[in-house]
Amino acid sequence: MEPRREDTDLATELRALRPKPRPGFAAELDARAAAGFPREGGDDRSPLRRAAEKLSRAPRWRVPALAGAVAVAAIAVVTAVVAISEDDAFDRGAQQLAAQPQGQAAPGAGRLRGAFAPLGREVERAAVESAASANSKGAAPAYDGAGPSLRSSSGPNAFLTSQRDVERSAQLVLATEPSEVRAAAARVFETVHRFDGIVLRSSISAGDDAEASAVFDLLIPSGRLGDALAGFSEIAAVRSRRESSGDVTGRTTGLEERLRDSRARIESLLTELAAAGAEAERSAVERQLRFERARLAALRSSLQGLERRVNLSRVSVRIQSGAETGSEGAWGVSEAVDDAGRILAIAAGVTLIGLAVLAPLALLAALAWLGARAWARRRRESALG
Amino acid sequence: MSQAIATRAEAGNEARSSFDELYRQSRDDVYAYVAGLLRDASAAEEVTAIAFERAYRKRDRFDARRGSPRAWLFGIARNAALDELRQRRRQAALTADPTDPAAPSATDGVERSERRLLLTAALERLEARERELVALRFFAGLSNAEIARVLGISESNAGTKLHRVVTKLREACHGAA
Repeated sequence: MEPRREDTDLATELRALRPKPRPGFAAELDARAAAGFPREGGDDRSPLRRAAEKLSRAPRWRVPALAGAVAVAAIAVVTAVVAISEDDAFDRGAQQLAAQPQGQAAPGAGRLRGAFAPLGREVERAAVESAASANSKGAAPAYDGAGPSLRSSSGPNAFLTSQRDVERSAQLVLATEPSEVRAAAARVFETVHRFDGIVLRSSISAGDDAEASAVFDLLIPSGRLGDALAGFSEIAAVRSRRESSGDVTGRTTGLEERLRDSRARIESLLTELAAAGAEAERSAVERQLRFERARLAALRSSLQGLERRVNLSRVSVRIQSGAETGSEGAWGVSEAVDDAGRILAIAAGVTLIGLAVLAPLALLAALAWLGARAWARRRRESALG
Repeated sequence: MSQAIATRAEAGNEARSSFDELYRQSRDDVYAYVAGLLRDASAAEEVTAIAFERAYRKRDRFDARRGSPRAWLFGIARNAALDELRQRRRQAALTADPTDPAAPSATDGVERSERRLLLTAALERLEARERELVALRFFAGLSNAEIARVLGISESNAGTKLHRVVTKLREACHGAA
């Protein structure tokens, strides 16, 4: 469309009104442009501001690359910290174990390292419990056969277990020469008897061949578990040792309460029975009484079973012989692969947690940035209002 | 490594050269736009210098996909001018038009001087946003697409607004005549 003549004239007139810079200002600005716009009065910016400006001038691809590198470095540092702390926890546990008599566990430390590294806390707790048990040595036996032994434990670490019902179990694998399996098995029996334990099951396959072995399922008084494990460890080289525990205080307390309720109910029914006049009423109360007594017996049985499991820890001892006997404690390729796998799993976990934490933060930061931009824009536009 | 440094240096030199060219092409236009918006020659000089300095420092961040270099430069100049306006909280009177449009020159006739006086008065009565459109189009010589980019609006919207302002100015001039 052809512009109207008067519009063209108006445009020409408007262009003629165009402000022009002073020659002095133009020359001054040219000089500054030629010098690369140096900052007047020197660079008095803070190092932080300078770094931020430098970052803002960086090519766009470099900012995410830098952020990624920082994130990877942070994950690596956290992973290293976690790995070191796990290692320290293991070392403390191993020191406690090594402090046990005769030091038979020492050759197995390499294996234990692989087995317990990710379970540092459990090892630590087991070591503390061992220490508590060792401290009670020479004093009155912690196990009195009447109630949960841990409730009557003493010593400086008693506060860790006092008033708690803890069910514990342990698995011990010992290694010896085929010809010594029978002798080792005999020493297992001796140790069990020495600590007032019970042999639930035993199986011995002795001889001079490489298949010679022995397996024991034992019940050991929980208060003497640490000492007993130390005793088993003296019999032969420890190939592996695992301990686990579970707090059953809640279940015990619950059963005790239900038992009390049941007794109270029986008392009440007996009173009702004494007061009952009619035959039908008496037989109804007696029926309820029979039911409640059966319930009481079942509860008592459950509680006794639970207390037995708390008082007596289940221990499995296996004596092995054969090609691996001489290599116990060695840290080989398979252990290295195991450790590498664990480290990778920890790294993956840390990465996941990091992402879970950083993703919302990044979202909030992005929203804040967008909000700040919008606000700044509105403020600027308001200047024209 | 040395090749990477050389490539980077080459890219830096290229950016510097491009900026020099942009500066030469736009120095007077930026000043004209800022002066038209601020109506204060002294402030316009200051803001123009700030705008070029900011643009120079941000020259590596210019993205050609998001508009022409001139639109990018005027966006920076606009922000600096609005910051100045906001800071001073004023609408300064036109104080520093170096070439007084009303002053008759040897080549100007009386009629043309009168028309310029009328146009200047009409410009004075425009709202700041309208005056900014005039400054961008007629003082700085930006295209509608570039104006749209600077103001963050669509090109058709920029054209419509500009047309309204021109109509308003024409009517003001005719009405006064």
